[in-house]
Amino acid sequence: MTSDDTADRRGQPRRAGDRVTTRTAVREAIRSEIAADAPTTTEMRVRRENAGTPVIELDHVSLAFDEPVLEEISFAANEGETVVVVGESGTGKSTILKLILRLLVPDKGRVLIDGEDITHLSFEEALQVRQKMGMVFQGAALFDSMTVFENIAYPLREHTDLNEEEIEARVREKLEFVDLEPDKVMQQMPAELSGGMRKRVGIARGMANNPELMLYDEPTSGLDPLTTGTITRLIMKLQRELGVTSLVVSHDIRSAFRMATRVALLYEHHIVFFGTPEEMAGSDNEYIRDFLGGF
Amino acid sequence: MANVLQRFNDWAKGIVLAIQEYFTLAWKAIRFIFARPFYGSDLAQQMDAIGVQSLGIVLLTGFFTGMVLALQSSVQLKTFGATIYIGRLVSASMIRELGPVLAGLMVAGRVGSGIAAQLGSMKVTEQIDALNTLGTDPIKKLVTPRVLAALIMLPVLTIINDLVGIIGGNVIASAYVGLPTSLYWRTVWEQIAAGGFTFRYIPNDFIQGIAKPFVFGGIIAVTACHYGLKTTGGTEGVGQATTRTVVTASILILIIDYFMTQVMLAVFAE
Repeated sequence: MTSDDTADRRGQPRRAGDRVTTRTAVREAIRSEIAADAPTTTEMRVRRENAGTPVIELDHVSLAFDEPVLEEISFAANEGETVVVVGESGTGKSTILKLILRLLVPDKGRVLIDGEDITHLSFEEALQVRQKMGMVFQGAALFDSMTVFENIAYPLREHTDLNEEEIEARVREKLEFVDLEPDKVMQQMPAELSGGMRKRVGIARGMANNPELMLYDEPTSGLDPLTTGTITRLIMKLQRELGVTSLVVSHDIRSAFRMATRVALLYEHHIVFFGTPEEMAGSDNEYIRDFLGGF
Repeated sequence: MANVLQRFNDWAKGIVLAIQEYFTLAWKAIRFIFARPFYGSDLAQQMDAIGVQSLGIVLLTGFFTGMVLALQSSVQLKTFGATIYIGRLVSASMIRELGPVLAGLMVAGRVGSGIAAQLGSMKVTEQIDALNTLGTDPIKKLVTPRVLAALIMLPVLTIINDLVGIIGGNVIASAYVGLPTSLYWRTVWEQIAAGGFTFRYIPNDFIQGIAKPFVFGGIIAVTACHYGLKTTGGTEGVGQATTRTVVTASILILIIDYFMTQVMLAVFAE
């Protein structure tokens, strides 16, 4: 795949702002969007699916608070792959991320990171495992008592022996990666930034430690269509250029189809579909068709 | 009937669970004081927020409390012709009771609410989760510096409060009653000496007056962090956490003050 950002899906007939009225038209549009990405992307997808070893694996995971949230969830994300978990609001998508981060422990089943079962780790051991991961929160969750620079430097100060110069160089590098001008934003407070900028700083902070695994919670929610496109491309760029494995939780099916190598569909606490976007668009399952048609 | 019992059972269980959480938090916060890494700059910042910035209201409450104590006692003592004892009354009340309790209540209102609101909004905007994700224990980073700062600063504030209160009493004693300043301070010292000494030089009144704010400081910080970190339900939840913190911390201070007084009176009785 080319490194030129504009050469990917943007030049294709369908754009973020287009309106589609009927369900068939949506499915058609999705098919054509996927077809437009062929052949390179499909090749990559196939290669990745076969070659990668699982980085994240959920093995028959169940979790209930007062009522069931997740039941018998099993799926895996292989090395270098982008798996997008989609589903309606309130179906426990974000809970999956919390399980992977081990902010929550499942009632049943196992969560494996790099083949290691993290469900029985102590709190301190879990802190260690989390350093392999970069998490981008829905509202960015930047520390609002710190500047942008301090936010991104935070994981470096906590867990590396880098000196001040190296830290600044790393922060600049990450800010440039997310297309922000370091000199402009570094000394600003999070409250002064726009929503899209906050998300980007959140991504920069998530990737500051060069994690092998990136997790995104609703990266495009609450953003305008243009910014949505920018953030989606950024996530794809991260995967393409740095080869990180990504797990995205989203209800935005359009951007999900753009970045996913595989899609997991969550419905009533179960995963009802797990496969490539092509397979999903071609599915005859009524709920999947309804779900796609809703967008 | 069974329904009522069931409800009572749930309610009691909830309370026991909350108390358990409270003490677990307190224990962890204190244990982390001795574990690396030590967040020194956070501690300094909190000592400033809890101590230095509370100085104004503590000076104000201390001064006026001392003045009103002297005023009220002068009226009572005049009937016995014993206005000479104003200093004793003011110093005993300030050092043993009002200094610690009033400083505690003022700090609970000013600082406790602030801590609860800050941690609460960090919780609802996922910043606490973010800390966890970035490999930092939020208790160590947020709770420990606040608890430690409160443990250090509340006794300091109380000493200032006591001193300013006794000075306030002095102002009234000399302005309204015409008691000479030197006599006032001599009676203040007589009262302190009458309480007895530990290790020959440390007045028992001082021990009592310092032990209380030390405990109150812990109560305020742990209560505020407890409710702050438990916040759910957006901005409304933050408001609830703040209110609960001030109410709970104030009540705990008043109740525990009583029991500490009883214990210390027994200890220092001989």
